[in-house]
Amino acid sequence: MSEAKVSVDVVMGEIERDVRARLRLHLIKRGGAADYQDEAIFDAVHAVLARAVDERNLDATLLPELVDGDVDWRLQTHLTLTTHRPGLAGRCILFVKHTFLLPMTRWLFEYSQDNFRRQDHLNRILFACIEELALENARLRREITSASVGKPV
Amino acid sequence: MKLACVVHRFGADIAGGSEGHCRLIAEHLAAQHDVTIITTCAKDHITWRNHYPPGESRIGPLRVLRFPVARERELHRFMDLSDLVFADRATAEEQEQWFRENGPDAPELLNHLRQHGAAYDRVLFWSYRYYGAYFGLPLVADRAVLVPTAEDDPLIHVDALSRYFALPQGFLFLTPEEETLVASRAPAGKPSAIIGCGLDPVLAAADLSCLDSLGLADRFVLYLGRIDPNKGCQTLIRHFQRYVDGGGTVQLVMAGPASMPIPDHPLIRPLGFVDDGVRTALLTKARALMMPSPFESLSMVLLEAWNHGLPALVNARCKVLRGQVERADGGLYYGNTIEFIAALDYLLDHEDAARQLGRQGLTYVDREYRWPIVLNRIEALLGAF
Repeated sequence: MSEAKVSVDVVMGEIERDVRARLRLHLIKRGGAADYQDEAIFDAVHAVLARAVDERNLDATLLPELVDGDVDWRLQTHLTLTTHRPGLAGRCILFVKHTFLLPMTRWLFEYSQDNFRRQDHLNRILFACIEELALENARLRREITSASVGKPV
Repeated sequence: MKLACVVHRFGADIAGGSEGHCRLIAEHLAAQHDVTIITTCAKDHITWRNHYPPGESRIGPLRVLRFPVARERELHRFMDLSDLVFADRATAEEQEQWFRENGPDAPELLNHLRQHGAAYDRVLFWSYRYYGAYFGLPLVADRAVLVPTAEDDPLIHVDALSRYFALPQGFLFLTPEEETLVASRAPAGKPSAIIGCGLDPVLAAADLSCLDSLGLADRFVLYLGRIDPNKGCQTLIRHFQRYVDGGGTVQLVMAGPASMPIPDHPLIRPLGFVDDGVRTALLTKARALMMPSPFESLSMVLLEAWNHGLPALVNARCKVLRGQVERADGGLYYGNTIEFIAALDYLLDHEDAARQLGRQGLTYVDREYRWPIVLNRIEALLGAF
């Protein structure tokens, strides 16, 4: 028996609308931004942030490139063992570090590694959100500029 | 034609996606061609420890050549290098070293390709990220076909791949999303085909009695495959626990070998590895398939679920999974916990619509993924250069 076709787009559209409505009410109830009383404003904010989180390539954003010259903002999750001592003494020290210190450090480090990675991911999402807002701002400025051309100031 | 299929692991008891894909394609190609599998002695995908004896053997219609792994994977060194490479801070040498460390490091396999590669009409390589495909393909580039099994992860953006993807004479992709991903790194105009993977129709009715002995009388949703954080299982469990906290009563059955702890929860049922009979019964009786993986080049489990008329709930952050579901109209997707709960509620509360989504998935499999269709696409590509 063949039933009427179910469209994923239609069902997901309904689910996403319902989720947005529930989220808005939840935030209002928890004391979120007063502007969220206005459904249209909430939807617009949701769209901008969702675009940053879902659609942006987190490895290709502008802000990290700009701050890269000043600070290495990336979390360093790898360990590099070195020594300033040359020759045999240096090799012995490195051997001790690699054989005894490195395994112990790794053992401690692995407890916190997930948190480091989570923070790294969050940093990149925040960079993407800032960039998305900057893009939105640039687009609006251009629209305002072109709309105001020829109009009295 | 005389064909070689190069893959990092090979065996009927190996559950990996690209390895299973290679085995299925090779077995079906063997009906028309002389097919040799070129692989390693490794079985364990973490260490690449030698398990199978080296040398020549036959598995069904296939001639299998196994080469020993020279050194096991050193995980800490590999993780450190991965951090550098994935953060786009690695030199060209470090990028190349990543492929060496990823392994399985089998220099004799490369020697075989160097010395005997010209004896094959076509050499097909599975998964660009592994040693054999990365270092082996350039040795026989004039007859090489790459099955990249590429995922939208940071590795695909590595500079070294622009040169690499220019080498093969043709590509076999698993999905349109994978083609788009690789096409952005490869020169235009190379012959290619999107093949996915073939499936046989489900003919016999499943024997569901095995589910009684497992105590699976109540309704359940199913996760099928390796239970691993990299497959999104931690996130799935977190979403599911929130769903249960909100009053949900369906069980989550997780069938597959686990490489992570699974919480002791009355509605989460880990089954471990299951045989084909139980697998079929689970796919027949489940209310929906859960597919939480963030990175996929093709979900064969998803196709298998549709082959049983089972709707799916997939991670929308994986473009391939979302694309498959949208093309098939075969399920729903979620990007966060609230969407997960809402979509799961929909599938459980709208039984007719859920069943129809599953049927639409089956129609999609009939249209795109039956073996004659898939093999015709492969043959056309093999004859295109």
